[in-house]
Amino acid sequence: MDGELSLSAPALRRQVEDLHTRYIRSIDDDRIEEWPNLFTPECLYKIVTRENFERGLPLAIMECRSRGMLVDRVTGLRRINVYEPQRYSHQVSGLVIEPVDENTAACRSNYLVVRTTGDGAMTLFSAGVYVDKVVIRDGCALFAERIVVQDSRRVETLLAIPL
Amino acid sequence: MPPTQPLLQWPAEGVTRAPYRVMSDPEIYRLEQERIFRGPVWHYLCLEAELPDPGSFRTTYIGETPLIVTRDKDGVIHAFVNRCAHKGALLCLEPCGRRQAFTCVYHAWTYDLTGALRSVAFQRGVNGKGGMPADFRLSDHNLERVRTVSFAGLVFGTFSEAAPPFEEYLGPAMVAQIRRVFHKPVAILGYYHQVMHNNWKLYMENSRDPYHATILHTFYATFKLNRLTMEGGITLEHGGWHSMNYSKGATMREGEYEGTGIRSVVEGVGLADPALLERRQEFADGITVAIQSIFPTCVHQQIYNTLALRQVVPLGVGRTELHWTVFGYQDDDADLRQMRLKQANLIGPAGFVSMEDGSVGEYVQRGIAGTGVDRGAVIEMGGSEIASSTASRATEATIRGFWSGYRSLMGF
Repeated sequence: MDGELSLSAPALRRQVEDLHTRYIRSIDDDRIEEWPNLFTPECLYKIVTRENFERGLPLAIMECRSRGMLVDRVTGLRRINVYEPQRYSHQVSGLVIEPVDENTAACRSNYLVVRTTGDGAMTLFSAGVYVDKVVIRDGCALFAERIVVQDSRRVETLLAIPL
Repeated sequence: MPPTQPLLQWPAEGVTRAPYRVMSDPEIYRLEQERIFRGPVWHYLCLEAELPDPGSFRTTYIGETPLIVTRDKDGVIHAFVNRCAHKGALLCLEPCGRRQAFTCVYHAWTYDLTGALRSVAFQRGVNGKGGMPADFRLSDHNLERVRTVSFAGLVFGTFSEAAPPFEEYLGPAMVAQIRRVFHKPVAILGYYHQVMHNNWKLYMENSRDPYHATILHTFYATFKLNRLTMEGGITLEHGGWHSMNYSKGATMREGEYEGTGIRSVVEGVGLADPALLERRQEFADGITVAIQSIFPTCVHQQIYNTLALRQVVPLGVGRTELHWTVFGYQDDDADLRQMRLKQANLIGPAGFVSMEDGSVGEYVQRGIAGTGVDRGAVIEMGGSEIASSTASRATEATIRGFWSGYRSLMGF
């Protein structure tokens, strides 16, 4: 059953950690154009609140059902939407990886995002859990799914940059 | 005794000016809690769909005051202040659920679903010692009740005995708009909660303002979702206290935006995945965007296939929380349900056409800091009249209507 793409547990972990690192760098270093390329073309990316998630309510704060929709979020950020200049600092910890089949893993980690705006205000903007499905394609890890479950039901001011 | 000064002298120009001080003065904010939030007006509380069964409850607010809305065992809806009559502690900490009774965690005073006090822990003391006085009557300590009205599946409430009958308060055009959307059973899709760092009235102005919509929200005009060159109009009721602005997407005229230098149309952008804008014509009247504002703090929206109520809750003079309830219909087919959820990318705190509203009020709040008492906003688009119009949405009559209602309640 083991296909040639199957990885040893340490190799899988390296791949997944590397994907997480590239994810953080693309957002926090303001290289958001690279962010969609970390997902499969038919991906699902969603930001939901724990309030809606636990009650089984399907509404998302942001919901992208393809890599194209991620690209459109980048277009919105760069060219269309109006918001105060801001940066994120992601802290990600507690990564667990459970292989699902020879090239898919279910992952979970905590995240914390500090948002800093132009006037110097720093906000503990969002904390929660990443619930991911990572696939290994052509030897490279990609997000097939990333569900961002934010613990708080509140968003401060607006959410422009993805979490 | 020195003569008492009025709290505020409204500018002689009337409703074409709104003094900045009303956005930042804590004394005015305190008076609003009494004259507006406890005044003779109706406040949106929740949807009946959120109270499906006997024992269902949902917590909500009127102004800063926390409330519980319940459905009792006979199916009757009640609302009361979420505050134990003993020490004033919050009685219910959950947003919604089902209960037979509400028991305060502090000293176990227990109330039924109508808000009546049913029992007090150790009322007779222990071993015949202590306890409440013999003349203590449970019925003197019920929860503070709020009058409610249920209309087309929406629940409104008021503290005031002087609030007019609900449909009279709304006026026929506002009644018609609610009935237009709430014409069959709704299904809740979820909630957004968004904290804005501005006075609540800045959001009310914003939600009524057809002038800004296609300028600030560049996504609207760029993707031709809403432009002032579409057929549309504004409808006012109750002397402008309530308003609706609407447009019909299929009627757009080209030009007027292009080449004006207005930063509202971004040239040469397209969507990598146009599925975002897939939509279905749900209403025979052709109206594709309709924003209804019911005085003082309820906003009811249809933006293509996204339907929502927005409740505006003040958290202090310079802080406001927006509670969004997003819904569809119970008989939505799977495609339409998916369409609504995908289009929800347009709305809410991360919405392509609404995220800017989360911060533009804060820009005003920061901009007016330190201004003198005699400065204020200029509200002259469309002249000084407060009247409905089917000719143009290049007007601020809807905002003047808000200030007209505000002044009459506040005595300014």
